[in-house]
Amino acid sequence: MMRLIAFLLLLAVPVLGVWTFVTAADNNWWFPPAYSTFAPDIDWLFDFIMYMVAFTFVVTEVALAWFVLKYSAKRHDKGVFTHGSHKLEMIWTAIPAVALLVIAFTQMETFANIKFASGFPTQGRFTREKPIAQVWASQFDWRVRYPGDDGVLGTVDDLEAAYEFVVPVNEDVVFELRSRDVIHSWFVPEFRLKQDALPGHTIPVWFNATKEGSYDLVCAELCGWGHYKMSGRVRVVSAQEFEAYQADLKAKWFSNGKE
Amino acid sequence: MRIRIRPLALAGLAALGACQLDLASEPQTPTVHYALSPRTTEVDAEGEPIVAPATQEHIAGSLAMLFGSPANPRFLRTSEWVDDGFDPNWPTYAVGDDGSGEFDEDELAALQSDNRRDFARELAAIEAGEFERVRIPSWLPDLAGAWSAHLASKPADQRDEEFKTEAARLLVEFYPTLRDSAELYRQQCLHCHGTEGGGDGPTSRFLNPRPRDYRRGIFKFTAQKDKSVPTRADLYTILDEGVTGTAMPSFRRFSKAEIHGLVDYVRLLSMRGMVEHDLVTTVTNDDVLSAETVLESYAGVWEKWNKAPEKWTEVASEVPAPTRESIERGRTLFMDAATGNCFSCHGAEGRGDGASAFTTVPETGEILPAYKDDWGNEIIPRNLRQGIFRGGRRPIDIYYRVKNGINGTPMPAAVSSMTDEDIWALVHYVGALSEQPRTRANRAAAHGANQHGNGQHGDSQSGDSPSGGGSGH
Repeated sequence: MMRLIAFLLLLAVPVLGVWTFVTAADNNWWFPPAYSTFAPDIDWLFDFIMYMVAFTFVVTEVALAWFVLKYSAKRHDKGVFTHGSHKLEMIWTAIPAVALLVIAFTQMETFANIKFASGFPTQGRFTREKPIAQVWASQFDWRVRYPGDDGVLGTVDDLEAAYEFVVPVNEDVVFELRSRDVIHSWFVPEFRLKQDALPGHTIPVWFNATKEGSYDLVCAELCGWGHYKMSGRVRVVSAQEFEAYQADLKAKWFSNGKE
Repeated sequence: MRIRIRPLALAGLAALGACQLDLASEPQTPTVHYALSPRTTEVDAEGEPIVAPATQEHIAGSLAMLFGSPANPRFLRTSEWVDDGFDPNWPTYAVGDDGSGEFDEDELAALQSDNRRDFARELAAIEAGEFERVRIPSWLPDLAGAWSAHLASKPADQRDEEFKTEAARLLVEFYPTLRDSAELYRQQCLHCHGTEGGGDGPTSRFLNPRPRDYRRGIFKFTAQKDKSVPTRADLYTILDEGVTGTAMPSFRRFSKAEIHGLVDYVRLLSMRGMVEHDLVTTVTNDDVLSAETVLESYAGVWEKWNKAPEKWTEVASEVPAPTRESIERGRTLFMDAATGNCFSCHGAEGRGDGASAFTTVPETGEILPAYKDDWGNEIIPRNLRQGIFRGGRRPIDIYYRVKNGINGTPMPAAVSSMTDEDIWALVHYVGALSEQPRTRANRAAAHGANQHGNGQHGDSQSGDSPSGGGSGH
């Protein structure tokens, strides 16, 4: 009886694992919708690795259960000493190594496109030389500094906004990520984009949002006691709305204190 | 084997049982009181309380009568206010209602449209008739109460359009009560600012600068003259924008109504602290603490807060744009001992290292801050070259700091001989000091400027091309 329970418990691991995998989409446990140009690539890579892992998981779990049954004490009362199989070890080293190489080469282009200097947009309004804004992470909020009229960051006419980062839709956006104090991480799940902010570094980041809306911007690096409340929003708007927002921000920035 | 399993199973059962017991018992809400300030409960050298324990109890009782408790904060409505139809607990009502009329029609409309955005999901659920899908946030106990009362008023099968309209109205016209705001304060603010707003919450020990202590009514970053208490707008700005360079974040993720509610509650805590301060002063002056004294102090403190808008710094002109002349003029004033005299604390280069802000210990040669702020913390002048201005980096923010000084700190108001033009010149100069052109394009531009023989770093700050400045960084 105990043996049967143990076997069922063991079997429950692969069964539950596969069930979670199959029903995840229906239960809304999967990723949020993908709203940036490179998000589908990331999702494809995720699925690619996921199916690879799922296949390996099922095979190894079935083998494990089978071994438990086959070599149970009832059938074999005495173990056999073996020094192992050199051939088998070669095989189970070589296959993962090849798998890792396949993963490494498959993701290379996507990663380079998102993170390497060569992948950054050079056409359009926003480039590494003319970023849309500087995003400052600090304990525990996000602040955005737009270059203002002169288009140059770090000057007196820069406009600053707390909490919300407003960007135009369907346009390559490059911003500079900076930290005032410790390591933070800029993460918008809908864009599939995560980038650490390091103190002392100015890190260029780019994305192209494909759907208007307001998305959660969270800190993905434990940055101190207030990490949980370090939230912001990225609001994706039309090009006209973006101009209007900049104008509003400018009016507020140079207001003389009256409404 | 069997013997080993049994105690484990027993322990497991016991743990389960304990959970069951825990679930079965009523959730206990501890009673929280506002504590008296350290000044009230201070003891002398012999360990004897300076204010007699009976008097301390009297003060605590008076404050509870005037301001309620953390679970049920409220302002006492004096008999005159009842006659005048003034209710300090309801700042929301537009002029003509029986509230204090501090919001006009426009502001109310703005609040309601913001509520509409904030409660969009709930309003859609009401529209669809799915009332059980409406989730009231946990920090709005009074709204939750009103909501369940509304649900209970009609059985599910009799709910009509009128019921829906009324349900939507609860959310659209939502404005937090002091109880709602106190709950939000407990969740978001208390851990730094403390139950009484004394800036002494559990997290405060780890913070530098320390969180604000509201109890003296001293707030640093306001648009107020003469060290006046702040206006609602001042407090709202701080909650909305946060304070850069400190642990105070922006709370823009909450709705406008909720932030206004927090402002109301901060005002209550501040007034409570000010009345307590008054009462202790009365007692230590050996005056009798009668009901009249208490009410007099209460009215006096309210008057200060009600008159705060009169102390607002009005700027008649538009914000002028910086020019080479204005920046140079600002620099002259910055360095002039008779007018600006800024350099004496902020240093000739604006790095916050001026001679008069520090003292040297003769024995060790150690350099220490010379000044303390009104809360007793050591204070050093702002380094103006970092671009971090706690009260805001907008020109108008810096104007307020220069014009009015910073309440609670050694930063003085501008001398009366300084004209508006002088102050704007200083604002422009301070702005130029904090320019940080560090992007690649800027570096290239700055490099180009230097190659053209304009090699002096300090000089390039006054140049009209902003990209030429600060190449020395």
